Amino acid sequence: MRKMNLVWLLSLMLVLSAFLAACNTDKEESKGTNDEEDGKETAGNDEPKTDLAFPTAVTAQGDGMKDGSINYGLISDTPFEGTLNYVFYSGAPDAEVLQFFDESLLYINGDYEITNEGPATFEMSEDKKSITVKIKDNVNWHDGEPVKADDLLYAYELLGHPDYTGARYSGLIPMVVGMEEYHDGKSDTISGIDVQDEKTVTITFNSANPSLTTGFWAYPAPRHYLGDMSIEDIVESDKIRTTPIGFGPFKVKKMVPGESVEFERNDDYWRGVPALKSIVLKVVSPSVAVKAMENGDIDIASLPADQYLSAKELKNVELLGQIDLAYSYIGFNLGKWDADKGENIMGNPKLENKKLRQAMALALNNEPVGEKMYHGLRYPATTLIPPSFPGYHDFEAKAIEYNPEKAKALLAEAGYKDTNNDGFVEDPEGKEFKLSFASMSGSDVAEPLALHYIQNWTDIGIKVELLEGRLHEFNSFYERVEANDPAIDIYAGAWGTGSDVDPEGLYGRNAMFNFTRWTSDKNDELLAKGVSEEAFDAEFRQGVYKEWQALMNEELPVIPTLFRYSLTAVNNRILNYDIAAGTKEGWDTVAVSSETPVK
Amino acid sequence: MLKFIFRRTLIMIPQIFILSVLIFLLAKAMPGDALTGQLGSGDVDPERIEELREKAGLNDPWHIQYGRWIGNVVQGDFGKSSVYQQKVTNLIGDRVGNTLLLSASILIVSYLIAIPLGIIAGRWTHSWADKMIVGYNYLSFATPLFVFALIMLFIFGFMLQWFPIGGSVDIRADKGTLEYVISKARHLFLPTMAGALLATFSTIQYLRNEIIDTKIKDFVKTARAKGVPESKVYTHHILRNSLLPIAAFLGYEITGLIGGSIFLESIFSYPGLGQLFLSSISSRDFSVVTILVLISGIAAIVGTMLSDIILSWIDPRIRID
Amino acid sequence: MTINLGSETPVTESIQPKTSYTSLRKTMWLEIKNDKMALISLILLIAILLTVYIGSLLLNLEKITRIDVFNIYAEPSAVHWLGTDYGGRDVFGVLLIGAKNSITIGVVITLISGIIGLTVGLIAGYFGGLVDNVIMRIIDFIIILPFLMIIIVLITVVPVFNVYTFIAILSIFLWTGKARLIRSKTLAERELDYVNASKTLGTPNWKIMMFEVLPNLSSIIIVNLTLTLAGNIGIETGLTYLGFGLPESVPSLGTLVAYASNPEVIENRWWVWLPASLLILVIMLCINFIGQALKRAADARQRLT
Repeated sequence: MRKMNLVWLLSLMLVLSAFLAACNTDKEESKGTNDEEDGKETAGNDEPKTDLAFPTAVTAQGDGMKDGSINYGLISDTPFEGTLNYVFYSGAPDAEVLQFFDESLLYINGDYEITNEGPATFEMSEDKKSITVKIKDNVNWHDGEPVKADDLLYAYELLGHPDYTGARYSGLIPMVVGMEEYHDGKSDTISGIDVQDEKTVTITFNSANPSLTTGFWAYPAPRHYLGDMSIEDIVESDKIRTTPIGFGPFKVKKMVPGESVEFERNDDYWRGVPALKSIVLKVVSPSVAVKAMENGDIDIASLPADQYLSAKELKNVELLGQIDLAYSYIGFNLGKWDADKGENIMGNPKLENKKLRQAMALALNNEPVGEKMYHGLRYPATTLIPPSFPGYHDFEAKAIEYNPEKAKALLAEAGYKDTNNDGFVEDPEGKEFKLSFASMSGSDVAEPLALHYIQNWTDIGIKVELLEGRLHEFNSFYERVEANDPAIDIYAGAWGTGSDVDPEGLYGRNAMFNFTRWTSDKNDELLAKGVSEEAFDAEFRQGVYKEWQALMNEELPVIPTLFRYSLTAVNNRILNYDIAAGTKEGWDTVAVSSETPVK
Repeated sequence: MLKFIFRRTLIMIPQIFILSVLIFLLAKAMPGDALTGQLGSGDVDPERIEELREKAGLNDPWHIQYGRWIGNVVQGDFGKSSVYQQKVTNLIGDRVGNTLLLSASILIVSYLIAIPLGIIAGRWTHSWADKMIVGYNYLSFATPLFVFALIMLFIFGFMLQWFPIGGSVDIRADKGTLEYVISKARHLFLPTMAGALLATFSTIQYLRNEIIDTKIKDFVKTARAKGVPESKVYTHHILRNSLLPIAAFLGYEITGLIGGSIFLESIFSYPGLGQLFLSSISSRDFSVVTILVLISGIAAIVGTMLSDIILSWIDPRIRID
Repeated sequence: MTINLGSETPVTESIQPKTSYTSLRKTMWLEIKNDKMALISLILLIAILLTVYIGSLLLNLEKITRIDVFNIYAEPSAVHWLGTDYGGRDVFGVLLIGAKNSITIGVVITLISGIIGLTVGLIAGYFGGLVDNVIMRIIDFIIILPFLMIIIVLITVVPVFNVYTFIAILSIFLWTGKARLIRSKTLAERELDYVNASKTLGTPNWKIMMFEVLPNLSSIIIVNLTLTLAGNIGIETGLTYLGFGLPESVPSLGTLVAYASNPEVIENRWWVWLPASLLILVIMLCINFIGQALKRAADARQRLT
């Protein structure tokens, strides 16, 4: 079974809201960490490329007033879908609702690795193939039933069920021993999951893989609540849609489907009674988010990047930020996907010259893009592993500089010269050289950004035209990029990396999402090394990925263009709120200093 | 009359059939299916997607898919939304109330504004009131709905903060209480006013013309000559004739209301069918889009039929056409 | 929403029968000349059209659409009369080009749908019977369709979406109203003696339609085209606002107005959205006032002169 990590497409227009979904497994509900990890995280913020360093936590700390209540803004153009269960949800907005009332049994640290700080502890076996999870005693569902080992087994049974139509039967799930047989209906049980007692369960995987520490599924599902229904009925039932239960700090009290949710505090929460009495979540359209913050209509919201400038001016609001598990890039169409073999096949003579790709990278002036178009919320990317993996991102990697002169020299060296004096270079055979550039519509800056890049390439003499003279809508864009439409030479995309650092799912020989179809033996070797048994040794793994980042910056099948901050606006009355991965704060510690929002 | 109703109903059947085929083919032709959309929002395995595609029958020839689809629709099974993982019936059920409420209140408010204004303008032609009304009418005709709605939202929602800026009800209000009703009304107010103020155009103009025309008709002159007081002439003779058709026009308004709800719901973040339509279009939620267009089409077809029948009952001459 | 096709519009003056014969063009001019609003509208509209078309000829499209990242959301100044937008582009330039695009597309759609509607309406009305019946059923069907929804679906479906497909899609739906109008008028004309006379003389049908019936309908056609023009510009800008209009590289008035969905822009960057909104309003009003005057010219009962 080919391994597919937590990797997913990310559209420019969905970037900020979608991001929360990617990290739902890790970011919001995760509390346990140690100070060392925090230190690393801040190191990530010291990127020399930008002056912006956002705090991840609000400055205001303390106990605040008793029994406060806050409004949380879910920034989305559309209603949340209302599949409120970690096994079944698919959209980012649903994940934002889930974070309040349900959580993972295992918390994570700043590197997204599981820790023993959460509602359960874990132990890995000697051979690194199995994990034993032990749930703490005082962890109970909202209806008072204890969270049992059997509930975690139930989640795996749902995920692997032949009738399961969600998208989460992927990653490590199919690698559980006996899961494939169960999924194909050949077996009624999953042989690799062993419930030892009410609170202890051991899950065994087919192979030892360092991704276990970041990609392990630890969201239980309440069997006593859902177990008597068929899987199809569960998805549609009110028990998931309007009256879901979890064991998080807040309980769902009332819901207007798709529009708002009222949460009340869970007095039985395993970390103790939450500070706030209630939280009201409501869907707020992105275009009005800043105004709603200013008016005090909402206390907390993650803001779209294009509203940063106005948000910055707000006096009643503190802005938190952190580097996303994502990057923007420019990809080259270098081959085809062989679906039968499940393999990427290179073969596009037009772009196969590495020097051409390097020249095109040198031509890009990303600094003003980050500073002016994104007002500092994005900054030039240096490698394909974002600094949100402080342990693996190569901080020493030299950014691809902006150097049009050098780019021109490289082009000439590669044989691209302007032979007919039209201001644009011809290819080494002297024929007209023209590239078509595909870019997505969606955000305000989408078009200016695409035109900016085209101007950059024009400046070094490469003729680039926007594919069909316009931007393309998200769905059709990815459909054509994925199919390696010959009309597309280069394209601007973005990837969310998920919390697993392994880039195989995006750049492997057998990865369908390797849209450029670029392959190399060296790449295969490094990627395999990164998930080998040796790679359980952090230092070894860091070395492998450092080498890989250097390789990619040399070969440039994709040019990393921008890293990004995600931005959360918080009203000044909010205390103890932290968005960093592995923070100790949770929704249970968040409090307010006054009855009403600061205006 | 019965024959007309029968014939008029008969025409409806092929109309609805053609509509359903048309919509189905359109939806099939959309780039990407609902499963492509899932690529954007979760961690997925391409093989898994292909497996799901096969399972959902998305790889069958179109007429088989149509047959399956229409068979289910007739039986009341509208399929399942792949984005919401929920029956389309439930999904629409959640929102249809909001849209009906909005449409109804737009209609009512627009008539409440338009009928008095139309009568005033028609009765006192050339007065300053008439001139104001005609001026308002010109403006309402020329102002694009979305510009007007955006400005309303800004002034009353953001600047003055008199009304909420989105949603259909405050979650803290409990169903059945007065507070709940008030909250609903407050959420409804801005989209209703934005829609209604611009929807008065045809009614005002129709009434005004009708009254001007009827004023000089013989039966009115006779009534006047007999000494019937002027106000009675209006209420008894003129309005009765002029107002009846307005009620009948209701059915024709449906297409316009559907179009309007798309703008209003997206601007005021009002969770109804129009907003559902736009979001389903961008997420390629094939089953939802088709059903929404089908329902709107059928609503318009039935509405038009009812209007035709009522009008032909009021004015038998129409039947000949 | 009231996407008003403007086939019926307010009567501003009471009935004053007029019998003397004047040529159509003359009557139209007289009507406009004697209606102060219509005259002002005509002058204003001509001024706008001249500015927009000559202006956009003089402007360098490439220079205007060139992104200037160092000049985002600049306030109006001597260099940028109406400031700049989020891409640092000159709003005044975008406004001219956008107005040119919106107006041109509105006119082209009106003409195409007018020609289709005219042809179909003439044929249906002139021949009557089965032909008429079939055509009318088709028209009835198209008129009923949830227009905005289907257009949005079509726009997402077409493989190549550009200005031409946009015009084609809108034209498919907008000819029916005109066809209906022309048909009913032709039905009436058909019964008149001059048509029968020509028929007995053996004049081919198409000649009767083109040279005898059509001229008698010209006034109605002109009025209808004028009034629908306003509606069509409205539809284009509305679709662009929703994101289903012209591609982004072809700016329209709707593109500029769409910025107003951000309250921040409404409040602090009026120069981006307000001029375009006002321009739409003024153009629509002008066309409407002129249309009213023309309508009176076409309908002897309502003439002012």
